[in-house]
Amino acid sequence: MLNLIKRDLLLSFYSSANFFFTVSFFVLILILIPFAFGTQSDQLKLLFKGVVWIALALSIIITVDRIYNADYEDGNLDIIMQKNKTIEYLVISKYVTHWFIYCLPLLVILPILSFLFYLDYFETIQIFINLFIGSFGMVFIANFVSALTLGAKRTIFLKAIIMIPLFVPFIIFGSDAASWPILLGLSMLSFVISIYVTAYGLRLYGE
Amino acid sequence: MNELKIEDLSCKRGESKVLNNINIIIKSGETLVVKGRNGSGKTTLLRILSNFITSYQGKVSLNDLSILEDNLYNNKFNLIGQKNSLKDNLSIKKNLELWDIIFNESLDHAKLLERDNLDHLINRDVGSLSDGQKKCISLHRLNYNKYEFWFLDEPFVYLDEANTNSLIEKINRFNENMGIVILTSNINLPKKFHKEVNI
Repeated sequence: MLNLIKRDLLLSFYSSANFFFTVSFFVLILILIPFAFGTQSDQLKLLFKGVVWIALALSIIITVDRIYNADYEDGNLDIIMQKNKTIEYLVISKYVTHWFIYCLPLLVILPILSFLFYLDYFETIQIFINLFIGSFGMVFIANFVSALTLGAKRTIFLKAIIMIPLFVPFIIFGSDAASWPILLGLSMLSFVISIYVTAYGLRLYGE
Repeated sequence: MNELKIEDLSCKRGESKVLNNINIIIKSGETLVVKGRNGSGKTTLLRILSNFITSYQGKVSLNDLSILEDNLYNNKFNLIGQKNSLKDNLSIKKNLELWDIIFNESLDHAKLLERDNLDHLINRDVGSLSDGQKKCISLHRLNYNKYEFWFLDEPFVYLDEANTNSLIEKINRFNENMGIVILTSNINLPKKFHKEVNI
């Protein structure tokens, strides 16, 4: 499992452009808010708390093809699955690297963005905690969608249509600061479902 | 001494039956060439032997223990499929580094590539190589040497004469060290191997 984490991190380091694309995409979506709604500070604050979740959801959606599809298409997934007989370990290592590569940079950049939108320290920390917890749940969902649609080429629209409804609960509860326990529950529930379904999807692919 | 036994193996892919009552016994030091028309189930047979396909009729066993129950079996074979397992946007050197991590074994790639006359490619991006060169690099995985079986799916496709001969030599050396090789091929090979089966 540690091998795979190391390998995926090295791979993303070697193709680091991917990772900058996701961060830029996230920042650009948020930057669109003042263009669309003006620069009144109260309005911006309110909008930021909601749109940051939409930006996170979209950023995760654009990365979904990189989880298993890239390795599936070039044949590396065969070697990886052969070497890791317990597929659940493989799945967990993918959760870790996917979150680390694509969600952590967004959380790191979040404080800078929130100050631009006139949020104070306290509000920033609240959003940070919610996003931190919710992003795990969204990563779990993205992983199982990726595994279940493995082998279907150029189906990012299909994946987006499956994923967006599943992200809705996170977006509903995410913008409310006090609802982090609900987000935690949602993330844990997604983990339980996702690990089972992802492993099933990968086994099915092997067939 | 290993003995890989395939008994009454039949397998369905979708609605069509691709393997029908296959019986093969192969022992340490032997090479089996699997031949057959397109779509006859050669790749399916290799994927069954690699434990990827688990729903089939019949039995595949290594030393009388079913490969589905043998927990150590997956660490015994090296499967080279038709895909190259190379990342197009990375150099060969970086690709080999990634393989080292997956295979959990560090090889002296520079020396091994020099032996196969591929050392001049090491810093090239995989995307800029020809299919033949990619195949040669893909076969470089055979250098990971803790395996008892090689399963090779169409290994001679795209290879020129010199590389074909060098691969045959490698297979012979592996056989001499008591390794078992099962390969699929529709090309008339310059050398006869121990066993041949038509499916």
